[in-house]
Amino acid sequence: MSETGCRHYQSYVKEHSYDTFRVIDAYFAACVNRDARERKAIHCNCFECGSYGIQLYACLHCIYFGCRGAHITSHLRSKKHNVALELSHGTLYCYACRDFIYDARSREYALINRKLEAKDLQKSIGWVPWVPTTKETNLLLANARRRLVRPNQTIGLRGLLNLGATCFMNCIVQALVHTPLLSDYFMSDRHDCGSKSSHKCLVCEVSRLFQEFYSGSRSPLSLHRLLHLIWNHAKHLAGYEQQDAHEFFIATLDVLHRHCVKAKAEHDSKSNSSGSGSGTNSSNSSSSHCYGQCNCIIDQIFTGMLQSDVVCQACNGVSTTYDPFWDISLDLGETTTHGGVTPKTLIDCLERYTRAEHLGSAAKIKCSTCKSYQESTKQFSLRTLPSVVSFHLKRFEHSALIDRKISSFIQFPVEFDMTPFMSEKKNAYGDFRFSLYAVVNHVGTIDTGHYTAYVRHQKDTWVKCDDHVITMASLKQVLDSEGYLLFYHKNVLEYE
Amino acid sequence: MNVSGAVDQYTVLTGDRSKIKDLLCSRLTECGWRDEVRLMCRNILIEKGTNNSFTVEQLIAEVTPKARTLVPDAVKKELLMKIRTILTEIEEEADEPEDES
Repeated sequence: MSETGCRHYQSYVKEHSYDTFRVIDAYFAACVNRDARERKAIHCNCFECGSYGIQLYACLHCIYFGCRGAHITSHLRSKKHNVALELSHGTLYCYACRDFIYDARSREYALINRKLEAKDLQKSIGWVPWVPTTKETNLLLANARRRLVRPNQTIGLRGLLNLGATCFMNCIVQALVHTPLLSDYFMSDRHDCGSKSSHKCLVCEVSRLFQEFYSGSRSPLSLHRLLHLIWNHAKHLAGYEQQDAHEFFIATLDVLHRHCVKAKAEHDSKSNSSGSGSGTNSSNSSSSHCYGQCNCIIDQIFTGMLQSDVVCQACNGVSTTYDPFWDISLDLGETTTHGGVTPKTLIDCLERYTRAEHLGSAAKIKCSTCKSYQESTKQFSLRTLPSVVSFHLKRFEHSALIDRKISSFIQFPVEFDMTPFMSEKKNAYGDFRFSLYAVVNHVGTIDTGHYTAYVRHQKDTWVKCDDHVITMASLKQVLDSEGYLLFYHKNVLEYE
Repeated sequence: MNVSGAVDQYTVLTGDRSKIKDLLCSRLTECGWRDEVRLMCRNILIEKGTNNSFTVEQLIAEVTPKARTLVPDAVKKELLMKIRTILTEIEEEADEPEDES
């Protein structure tokens, strides 16, 4: 059932069309550009008391602004005008009904204006509640059985069989399955596989895994199909040796990402060949192989942008480059400068990571400003953060002299505000608060050992995943653990 | 024009008004205020909405004072800080050209 407002609004639209609503909304409710903001700032105040008050209404029959309450209602009553637009939220009000009214087409126009405004101000579109589409409503009605998730329920937890030194895979799969955004994506059946041979598609396999995890069954799962697919697509991981969990994580993201790009390209070429050729950029998107370029689910969740500023010591000219990243690898060893301190917390590590580093006289770089080879400093900062930030503590040190594992304790927080490490700290509206949701641990030596994972099952409920054994864990246990890979999820999401 | 009118005009012009509004909306959603007020409206409607004369204005009049007290102090404080930062920035920008001349 679509919303059609009230009969007063319908007759208003019949007489005046949607034009007045669209213009008033675009200029005084949403402010789609600078001109609109200027006009709103100058003209939009109450005709009765002159206030720029927080809730102004605009009459849609004539030129009149009035405060909520007596000012606007007395105008509407005396002029016998019915429809007004509330300007701070853009809601239609009908005086004859004494009620707010909702009209589907007006809402569509309003949404267009909100998008234009967001684009003009370079902000994300404001939060809007979910309204099910007709298709979704029908699906909900057709499937009346709901599964209620209560605290202490084990649904979503499955142990994973060790197929012979595959704990590195098990712990990464546990972390991925407990990534809220990723489970939202797969549980809402969003992966539309283009290829006919879906048994070869890793994304389909991951999709199937989510179904298995949430099926309610409690027996451990075997990941042999996933392992086989990874072996096929990332040859360097093939074989029965122990692998590095971090390497596996990055390889999995890479393979998933490539599958998404391929599926999208196939999907595009199919729709292009059937429809009229509007696909000039589809050929570009399929050829762009580097990550950070596409908009697949992996990039949406995991890709951030690293900014690197190289400052010339002679002329202070700055050359800035941007690089996409999936994770942040942090050094744990002694610093060579600053008196050889070893980092003790995750914050220490990040401060070290984002500190300006002198490149030295041996590494002179040609400055693009003063056109000469000069000594320079280099500094990293985070340009954009992904929704999931994963930190890789470099516990395995491989050097010419010695291979060793650094087991020092690194303290890491549950709630983490990343604002200090951003490139633009002055951005007053950025929200960079993250919370911990998974920790992968390694016990043992550099040659042989075992991986386990702590994952957040529900709010304030943590579990330990040790292959096929799943046990309850306390937050203290999680925070006291050594930590090899740390996964943080953004608290507040922004929408495009 | 008085100060608050000037501030209103300026923040509308720069687009800060709209951004502050978004921030407030998302904070209120985040902390559960939105759900609480929604529930409160529902309960009032169940109680009084049976007679058709109950209007949205009456509902607003009844809910507003209670809803105001439910806004967490942390949210108020954060918003106040944000507005202060924005206004100081405006002040600095307004000062700069004078220094040069």
